[in-house]
Amino acid sequence: MEYDSANAALPQACDLADLQLLHLADSALPIGALAHSFGLESLTACEMLTTPDLPNFLQTCLEEAGTMEAVFCRAAFRLSDAATDESDFAARWLELNNLLSARKPARESRTGSASLGANFLQVVLSLTHLPLARAALDASKCSASLVHHSTAFGLACSLLGFDEDRVVLVYLHQSVASLVSSFQRLLPLGQSQAARILWNLKPAMIVAANRSAACALDDVCCFMPLLDWGAMEHSALSTRLFIS
Amino acid sequence: MAFATTMASAAENPCAIGPELGAPHRLQASLTLDFARDEFTGHTVLAASRQEPPLKVVRAFAVQDGAALAHLHNVSGGLLGGDQLALKVNVGAGARVQLTTTGATRIYRPRREALPTTQANEFTVNEDALLEYVPDAIIPFAGACFSQATTIHLAQGAGLFWWEILAPGREARGEAFGYDFVRMKTDVAALGLPIASERVRIEPRKRSTQSFGRLGPYRTWATFCIAQVGRSAAEWLALEHELRKRAVPLTKHGETLWSVSALPTHGIMVRCVAAHGRHVLPGLQTLWQTAKQRLYGRDSVPPRKVN
Repeated sequence: MEYDSANAALPQACDLADLQLLHLADSALPIGALAHSFGLESLTACEMLTTPDLPNFLQTCLEEAGTMEAVFCRAAFRLSDAATDESDFAARWLELNNLLSARKPARESRTGSASLGANFLQVVLSLTHLPLARAALDASKCSASLVHHSTAFGLACSLLGFDEDRVVLVYLHQSVASLVSSFQRLLPLGQSQAARILWNLKPAMIVAANRSAACALDDVCCFMPLLDWGAMEHSALSTRLFIS
Repeated sequence: MAFATTMASAAENPCAIGPELGAPHRLQASLTLDFARDEFTGHTVLAASRQEPPLKVVRAFAVQDGAALAHLHNVSGGLLGGDQLALKVNVGAGARVQLTTTGATRIYRPRREALPTTQANEFTVNEDALLEYVPDAIIPFAGACFSQATTIHLAQGAGLFWWEILAPGREARGEAFGYDFVRMKTDVAALGLPIASERVRIEPRKRSTQSFGRLGPYRTWATFCIAQVGRSAAEWLALEHELRKRAVPLTKHGETLWSVSALPTHGIMVRCVAAHGRHVLPGLQTLWQTAKQRLYGRDSVPPRKVN
């Protein structure tokens, strides 16, 4: 049975926004998220990280890297309001992404994040008309600057009129879900156990999202030396399931 | 030296200090160093300095390759609670400078009412100049509160070998991770654009350092930034591979892990975590030597220490 749009009641704006946000955070969105482990593959390959470690490891990820990405996601969300004109917007967009690039010492994880970010903006632009998102993507291409996933997500969701706090929460949720999915391919981790881990981490996602609201770009910290090690050494693995 | 010992003893046991010294300790001091290349000899000289105790540089020593070596002294023996210290270094065009410490940087336990200890470092490396900043480890004592902010500006052709080693504390005393917090904020910019930016906050009582993802079973952390503005991405990738090969024999799981990765532009980042600090410095020196040969065609010269 086909949907008769002419006779249907207009959808409530907030309902539509919720559905669109769910769509953009869905792991099935074709941006290549499943191809990256962001260093987890190295950690599991040398048996430094095992299934029982996962809940604690992911909690730490949320406290450190998750909070940092959430702060950058918020900064991108606020970018269009802060900019005075399109040229100022492009300059701020490039500066934000360059700052985040400098925060990522591991080459493969940095380019992985950039691959997801650029793909995300392309997909969004194929779904809807967002001139500022197009301007951001063009500015990054012209200056050979990277577009990171968290900033792309924040910017696009802002331009679509979503609520900032919801966007950050959903970003964190999809990030952790993506890591759990990587673990399922790397470790003996069943569906039920993976679902339980993700379920139990939701309070930590809320804490990270709330902390990110009160944190400035210049102050947000990330101290994950072992994850850095895994991400930096991933390119040296002889057999790899993931790009990063 | 007696002065340093007295201060160290007082810092370790603040209760021993009399009531007349009970006011919150607050010391502001700065050390400004300006190095220049002598056009006639080609050697680097300490052209100007402004020194406020306890920070001091006695003199710059000539290194065999024409560089100048300066030892950063803290005549109080370490950093006390409430100290606000600043180091500003300018390396003139074409100059080559090596900076080191005379020993580990000790961050003493502050008095109860003391403000955190802060250290602000600003380095400017001008055209075709080279800065090698190769200090000993930072050792935060139990109860220490330490914030460090470092900014490094690199001009066209400027080079950098810069490391920091963070020890867990006085391990032999059983003080590992007994400090309150260590915050390290580091920004390296090339031609005005950020190439490496670190924001480290370690609060062992609030967030376990042993958590997997942070340090796990390791205790000492080191970061080593190698940069030279103007080299191509392909050259950095080649150096990344070369340094990784050198790092393989240095890596022993459970003991020391080394990792190497190219930065977005103009440089490479090396990281190390180690169960024991003694493995870190030799590894850093090995990678420094390899990178110096590749980038400058010269051997690295480990700094001569003075007492």
